[in-house]
Amino acid sequence: MRFNEKELVFLSRQPSERAAELGMRGPKKGDVVKRRVVKLIVNFLFYFRTDEDEPIGALLLEQCRVEREDDQVFSIVFLDEAERKYLFECDSQEQCVEWIDAIVKASYEFMRKNLIYYRTEIHRLTGKDPLEQYGISDETRFQVNSGLPPLPPAAT
Amino acid sequence: MTMANLIYPWVLISVHVKLDRPVIAPGHGCTPGGVVMKIHEKILTHYLSCTSPVDKEGYLYKKRERNTTYLCRWFVLKGNLLFYQERPGDRILLGVIVLEGCLVQACETDGQFCFSLVFTGPVLRTYRLAADDHLSQESWIGALFCASHFYLSMIVRDLERRYEEARRDKGLCDSIQTSAVTSTPNKIMASWNTGQPYFLHGTSIVPRDGRSYSTSSVPPPSMPNRPISYSLHAPPIQFKTTNKRSPKLWPKTNAHVTPLNGPAPSFGKWPVVGFDPLEEFSKMHEYYGNEIKQLRADWLRKKRE
Repeated sequence: MRFNEKELVFLSRQPSERAAELGMRGPKKGDVVKRRVVKLIVNFLFYFRTDEDEPIGALLLEQCRVEREDDQVFSIVFLDEAERKYLFECDSQEQCVEWIDAIVKASYEFMRKNLIYYRTEIHRLTGKDPLEQYGISDETRFQVNSGLPPLPPAAT
Repeated sequence: MTMANLIYPWVLISVHVKLDRPVIAPGHGCTPGGVVMKIHEKILTHYLSCTSPVDKEGYLYKKRERNTTYLCRWFVLKGNLLFYQERPGDRILLGVIVLEGCLVQACETDGQFCFSLVFTGPVLRTYRLAADDHLSQESWIGALFCASHFYLSMIVRDLERRYEEARRDKGLCDSIQTSAVTSTPNKIMASWNTGQPYFLHGTSIVPRDGRSYSTSSVPPPSMPNRPISYSLHAPPIQFKTTNKRSPKLWPKTNAHVTPLNGPAPSFGKWPVVGFDPLEEFSKMHEYYGNEIKQLRADWLRKKRE
């Protein structure tokens, strides 16, 4: 599958939401922990060898589950498959917690849900659709999903 | 890696080939010169095929890179990713374009209904696309324009501020902690990142795979007015309180879920709900509970048909 690799590599060099050297272990049997520079940018987790500027890979942080495995270890599971579980070893509990938090919030789908929630609530509180001023109120991606019943009238 | 300081990155890509990396492999970029970054294709295709909504799809013409011909392709836009394949329903994906750092522009140079994705990186790569008619062209430009994660995050930030303003204007008590760093992971937010967004559960409402649930004797957290929707997700973040084990072993997730009867979790920068859940949880519960009722009603109706 083709992808815009150069542009992604360029993206990986931009300022990140969070970056650190962590121990990283892949999902396969026999994979061992390796020190990697891990960088969170948009909804991708890039990882680099510690002495290189080019990322080895990029993990899309959608449809995944982030879990605390240990005091300083968290995991990301993709496709609901244990075979696709990546482990990350942090240097402290605090760092571990912060990474989990950051990864959860980085997901596009997570942010979209927030947007829809705020949009609906602002509309309920003010009677105005806040997306109108941007000219994007009709975009499919920002619609409250079908099946959602109208909200009860605003509380006073 | 000192060469990186002397030459432009795009040149580096074509000359810097690490011997221990494969030259070309599935799921890797097709960059001439052989430097590869693994994109984990299966994760992308899983995101594409999961039941979260597609933002836009349809046929477009895509100009070949080294050629002047346009080929007809089926495009699917989801989040900040634009996938393309020969036909809808094809199992083979031809490619994906990550829509970060690009401008979307109408351009008539190649004829009618054309538009471009102009990337602003060092290579200034441009994807040239064309629609069948003006309506489609406008619609695609509109959809692609607001597709980036960066754009979305700007809008969310703005809406969050306006939401808080609206609440203040209404004289509603605002007990959000606005500090950016949380000391404990926000368990409510954590559950949103997993699996299918429950907005779209059109099928039977069953708890997700039980593997992540508590295997200890601690009962699952019982929060007053806990919305039904939480059972649709993998539960909040769990962590073991066992003795330190070597991370090299695969620890069985014999976790117990942190009880939610304890102190309210503090909020980070992006609360899913803008209010203290313990104060207004019944509101949130009712809001999402209504959705579930609706979905169940639909499901039961379909079942009868």
